[in-house]
Amino acid sequence: MKETNEIKLVRTACPAHCGIDACGILAHVKGDRIIKLEPAEFPNKVDRRICLRGLSSLDITYHPDRLKYPMKRIGERGEGKFERISWDEAYEIIAEKFKEISDKYGWRSIGWVLGGPGAGTTKFGAYLRIASLTQSTRVSAWGYGDAGLPCGSRVIFGSQFPYMYLFGKFWQRNWPELLVVWGANPGESMPLQTMRKIMDAKENGTQIVVIDTRFTVTASKADEFLGLKPGTDSALALGLMNVIFQNELHNIEFIREHTNGPYLVRSDNGKILRGKDIGDKKADSYIIWEESSNSPKPVRRKNLQSASITGTYNVNGIECKPVFQLLKDLTQQYPPEKAAEITGVEANLIIKLAKKLGNTKNVTFFTYMGFTRTCHGDISLRGLCSVASVTGHVATSFSSGYLPAVLNWDPFLKAVPDRPSFHRLGILNLYEAVISGKPYPIKALWFAFINFLNQCVDCNKIIKEFYPKLEFIVQTELFMTPSARYADLLLPVCSFLEFSDFVSHPYPYVQLQQKVIEPLYESKSDVNIVAGLAEKLGYGDYFKGGEEAMIDMITDHSSLEGYNRETLGKGAMLLRALPEGGNFPLNFRTPSRKIELYAEQLVEDGQELPVYLPPIEAPITPGEKKYPLTFIQGHSRFRTHSMFSNVKSLLELNPEPIVEINSIDAKARNISDNDMVTVFNDRARTTLKARISDSVGPGVVNITEGWWIEQFKEGSVNHLTHDIINPVQNKIYEPNMHMNDVAVDIMKYKEGGK
Amino acid sequence: MNKRFGLVIDQERCIGCEACTVACKIENNSIGHWIQVETQKVPQKDTPSGQYPDLKLEWLPRLCNHCANPPCVDACPNEALVKREDGPVIYDQEKCDGCQVCVGACPYNVILYIQEKNTIEKCNLCVHRIDKGLEPFCVICCEGQAIYFGDLNDPNSVVSQKIASREAFQLKPEAGTNPSVYYCPPKPRRRL
Repeated sequence: MKETNEIKLVRTACPAHCGIDACGILAHVKGDRIIKLEPAEFPNKVDRRICLRGLSSLDITYHPDRLKYPMKRIGERGEGKFERISWDEAYEIIAEKFKEISDKYGWRSIGWVLGGPGAGTTKFGAYLRIASLTQSTRVSAWGYGDAGLPCGSRVIFGSQFPYMYLFGKFWQRNWPELLVVWGANPGESMPLQTMRKIMDAKENGTQIVVIDTRFTVTASKADEFLGLKPGTDSALALGLMNVIFQNELHNIEFIREHTNGPYLVRSDNGKILRGKDIGDKKADSYIIWEESSNSPKPVRRKNLQSASITGTYNVNGIECKPVFQLLKDLTQQYPPEKAAEITGVEANLIIKLAKKLGNTKNVTFFTYMGFTRTCHGDISLRGLCSVASVTGHVATSFSSGYLPAVLNWDPFLKAVPDRPSFHRLGILNLYEAVISGKPYPIKALWFAFINFLNQCVDCNKIIKEFYPKLEFIVQTELFMTPSARYADLLLPVCSFLEFSDFVSHPYPYVQLQQKVIEPLYESKSDVNIVAGLAEKLGYGDYFKGGEEAMIDMITDHSSLEGYNRETLGKGAMLLRALPEGGNFPLNFRTPSRKIELYAEQLVEDGQELPVYLPPIEAPITPGEKKYPLTFIQGHSRFRTHSMFSNVKSLLELNPEPIVEINSIDAKARNISDNDMVTVFNDRARTTLKARISDSVGPGVVNITEGWWIEQFKEGSVNHLTHDIINPVQNKIYEPNMHMNDVAVDIMKYKEGGK
Repeated sequence: MNKRFGLVIDQERCIGCEACTVACKIENNSIGHWIQVETQKVPQKDTPSGQYPDLKLEWLPRLCNHCANPPCVDACPNEALVKREDGPVIYDQEKCDGCQVCVGACPYNVILYIQEKNTIEKCNLCVHRIDKGLEPFCVICCEGQAIYFGDLNDPNSVVSQKIASREAFQLKPEAGTNPSVYYCPPKPRRRL
């Protein structure tokens, strides 16, 4: 190393899987070593940000345990015994194995399991591109906790995410009178992009309500906290709507204009009445009951505001009701007392909140992925969005703000335009594909940026039934994680300070993650690892130019003209502002192009309305089930999922896993603070330290996710979880893992105890 | 009038994340944690007080108060602790012989004795930064944007404004130390 005192400053961005916080980082480099990280400037000074994990990133880059060179397994899977090989050997082995397996079972039997790329883009894109070229299988990781929300959002808003409709204006710093944070804890999982704004809003007079199953950091800042039992959110939504409708506090104009609330539904089969049912020449037209003429009419823009949203009508001998009436009928089964009984939220609080929602002009709802990690989380989201919609608190257009960046995913999703691309499999569907070959057999897997065994449900099933069925496992990793131990071939990957990528966050900015130092040891970026393999497979041309070429590719879109490696090298750039006084409509890509309070495609599933269905496993009624406690997994500020679990500076502050248990449950089991306890169900035992804490209500225990398996005395969080598939989610999008819908009991730890 | 640099920490915005603790340790390359975030009214960190669902969770980051009348400076037999004219109370590791008299003299329990090097450690208000016109590192790394830095003698400074508008308080005023670290209490809840 060259001796120097000169400090070079490089601006980059942290792409950790908290994702949208995407802190801009200014790295101080002396010689070839980074000596310090600090929060980098943003065009708007107030957006400068860093978190305790970002600050600790050098402890990852310079961690003594980093994987330093490619390795081949020499012991049993799981034993962690490997021997060093060269990159060329590694590529040779992979190319040969892939050829052998694809000759036997076809390329689709080879899967790429891509975890959360965080704010990274091209490192994800590179794998899609090679999967597309080889027509192998892309295993989507939405299902590992993040598929429930898109399932619900797709049904009601016709969009992968509900965010811009619910809180897009909030992110543009338009503070509402009332903010309802429901089932989310941005105070720990999104402190910079969201929690700061929540506190800014509060300083500016916004009243904050937090609805959660846990008294979180976010809840600690609330004016009112509604603590509810896990998985009962849709019952609360129905209870709120019951009060809103009883008091006629719903927004009729909004319901008529923006939802399918006025559309008539046939009582005989639940289908939405169409033109063809009443002999109208517009066969597919939706039908409303026009109040002015007291007759059914195909829906037109001009007759919408005279559409009836209540009542029962006879249309050519067919009994029909408007969607809204059906929703109202459903909510009648959930008066506040009943909703209170199910959810554990006091009836009087339900009434107060409902009235407030109906009487307040400007309300923002905030939620995120964690809200939907129970079996029927998709319906929970539809419930929340229904409450927001009937009170008119959903954005249907923006009049100011910034145009979102659209990335050019085409070269990655479809590398050769006129040829079929990759097959797609949800990660929860992967279990069956590997174990029983359905819908088709998967024989080889490549894991990238995912700690699969640690973070996915039912560890014992993975170890005993899943891994043994695989003929070949490749993993790119920084460390010998619990999952890495099961790889046949282990490839060392760079930390984020050693490679470049494009980061399209945080809104309203885009950033460049610039390589600060050369990759340490023999590590490579995911893009360069894929490029090396592609060369062996004969697709080298598609990866020429490495990371830089990939960045140029993904930013090649009209929305990003002028945003390139050169301009972004200087710092974060603001997205383009919407024209002053403009109106940028937010469309709903549902079948009706409206907010769908009623989902026709789910009639046969009995889920056309946001019905309340109890959790699949979580025992919300005391004494009802064998295992009386609900186990949930909150997020910890000390980790981003399983990243940072092995970082010294953070372990100093948070040294070991703990299970939070309510004082009442602890007393009943004679458990004291700091006791070693065992959390158990039919699947496994997990032993760790107890923390008596009323942050969880009676009947609920919480262990924050992400701790590595070896950090527990025995078991781990996902030894306790299950791989139950919700068939409706499977039909709408892909099935989600229900990490917060798990039944357990807990006892004092006994050596060798059962 | 001299400057009197100080901090205002807003409990209303503090989310207890300990980014300040981590940032401080990295910036000062210290062994101990010069900022310790206390969860108030409970023995265990990050657990709320009260009974579910009527709970409270409030944090108080504790660090050297850079007192106007610092007992540690008076107590130190080696002149290792110095009160600068512009406010910060700083220590000189070379002069410290590890006698720990200051540790006992400090009413706030924020001077750390570090056994492995037989000296004390404590916050020095990032004088290496403020002398260059920069804010202390904890201030720019605070996730909640809850820490304000400025001149307490300037009525127009952000710190003076916060103190005036928010019923800010000092810790243990009865000790007569006149801390340069002020805290703004959490605002009362506006229930539904």
